[in-house]
Amino acid sequence: MDILKIEHLYKSFGQNEVIKDLTFSVPENSVFGFLGQNGSGKTTTMKMILGLLKPKEGSITVCGEQVNYGQTKTNRFIGYLPDVPEFYNYMTPFEYLKLCGEITGMSSNDIMMKSEELLDLVGLTKSNKRIGSFSRGMKQRLGIAQALLNSPRLLICDEPTSALDPIGRKEILDILQQVKDKTTVLFSTHILSDAERICDRIAVLHDGKAILSGTLTEIKAQHKRESLLIEFNTHIDKKNFIASDKIKPFLKDFEQMDRRIIIHTQDISGGQSTALEVLVEKSILPIRLEILEPTLESLFMEVIK
Amino acid sequence: MRAYIAFTKKELLESLRTYKLLIMFMVFIFFGMLAPLTAKLTPKLLESLMTEGMQIIVSEPTALDSWTQFFKTVSQIGFIVVTVLFSGMMANEFDRGTFINILTKGLPRSTVILSKFTVASIIWTISYLISFSLCYLYTIYFWNGDGISNLIFSVSCLWLFGILLLAVILLGGAIFRSSYGCLMFVVGFIALLFLVNVVPSFQSYNPIVLISKNMSLLNNETVPEDLRVAILISIVFIFISIFIAVKIFNKKSI
Repeated sequence: MDILKIEHLYKSFGQNEVIKDLTFSVPENSVFGFLGQNGSGKTTTMKMILGLLKPKEGSITVCGEQVNYGQTKTNRFIGYLPDVPEFYNYMTPFEYLKLCGEITGMSSNDIMMKSEELLDLVGLTKSNKRIGSFSRGMKQRLGIAQALLNSPRLLICDEPTSALDPIGRKEILDILQQVKDKTTVLFSTHILSDAERICDRIAVLHDGKAILSGTLTEIKAQHKRESLLIEFNTHIDKKNFIASDKIKPFLKDFEQMDRRIIIHTQDISGGQSTALEVLVEKSILPIRLEILEPTLESLFMEVIK
Repeated sequence: MRAYIAFTKKELLESLRTYKLLIMFMVFIFFGMLAPLTAKLTPKLLESLMTEGMQIIVSEPTALDSWTQFFKTVSQIGFIVVTVLFSGMMANEFDRGTFINILTKGLPRSTVILSKFTVASIIWTISYLISFSLCYLYTIYFWNGDGISNLIFSVSCLWLFGILLLAVILLGGAIFRSSYGCLMFVVGFIALLFLVNVVPSFQSYNPIVLISKNMSLLNNETVPEDLRVAILISIVFIFISIFIAVKIFNKKSI
């Protein structure tokens, strides 16, 4: 079942059309990466899912229920972590979670248990300090705790790792990985390695549309353009190699960088054996010979060109 | 209902921990004591300033002087303090983005407005009550309370105007995202009331009489019946302001 479905969504701010005909869906129990450059409309889309912004056109359904702007019943299924979560600085984390719990209508017992469990999960158990004195990373972790408080079916995180140091990022990704059994996670990011680490599905937002969406393996397979990297000892070796007539048919699509060349071809095994033949023939000893897997980064660069 | 109680508790905690409550109490305790003391001490002060050969005739101060001071301070500086303190009620949360978490948790937006109105009203009422009690005790102590009519009624009129002011502040806060916008809105509203007051036939309908007729109520130049319509209109204004504030907040992008 699709936990979130977005169909033909449009949104503009004045003359500026941010979202143009966006369509994608998030199936249950997946970790969904929502990728895009800064300013591509990721936050705008998320705010529309939460009913905080009014779409110009199109429909959004969460758990089969239509999202309406303003009063949003569907938010009871959702936990949301904003990009820069803001809390009441004069409260302690526990007081804040209690407030959130009471608002969502949880029983006092549940609030106690769940708060302790979540503060433990995000590593803020011993913190009796007021939130005002928290670092950015601590606020981000408290943000996850409050988002998970009412055991949401869909957890939406807006760039949860963007502003954090490497340790903070790792902590947040670890937490997201831990919760993925219990809840579907939709998170936006422009850090591709993060998405690659924990997502099983992605959508790439560009020019207001999802120009790429599906499971990570599917997408990689679809865009498979196998490449062979050869790194030479000297520039002369490289020149000699390229000059060979045998390798010519494979050099229709290739890149050169310093002492390296990357050959893109459909027939990777043919390319590889020919390259080896040429190397032996000309007695060139390469430093490196490697078959390149497509990375999310190369895909991303390719599709947003 | 539970969400309303939870958010109201949060508002109270906020007032306490951000010292809003403390400031209100201190200021209004000060006002309550200031009025009778000023009335009592001004003639003495003038006397001490007088040099040889100078003569200023100062009549003996009365309880009425004390109340004049009280109404003047509260309706001027008092309301300015209230407006400044409470104008950030909505703006702070818009600004910092604290609404996002709370509203996405499913808190009805009307509850936000109602809770904020409740707490602001409670704080105003208690501060005002303390202020009035102090002024009353000192005044009785200095002069005894004879010859003063409609005191409770007159004081209640001022209180009601305070509630109206809070409703308008909240409406301004829902319309504008910044506290300056809210301040301008309140100033505009008060200016409008004064402007309307220029037309004599509107005067008895104008809520402004709640803070301008206090003294004439005390010395019986005005009777409570004269203010009936204005009180009714003020109450209607309060309800309308809160209603519109909820409607506008419902449509607000966060």
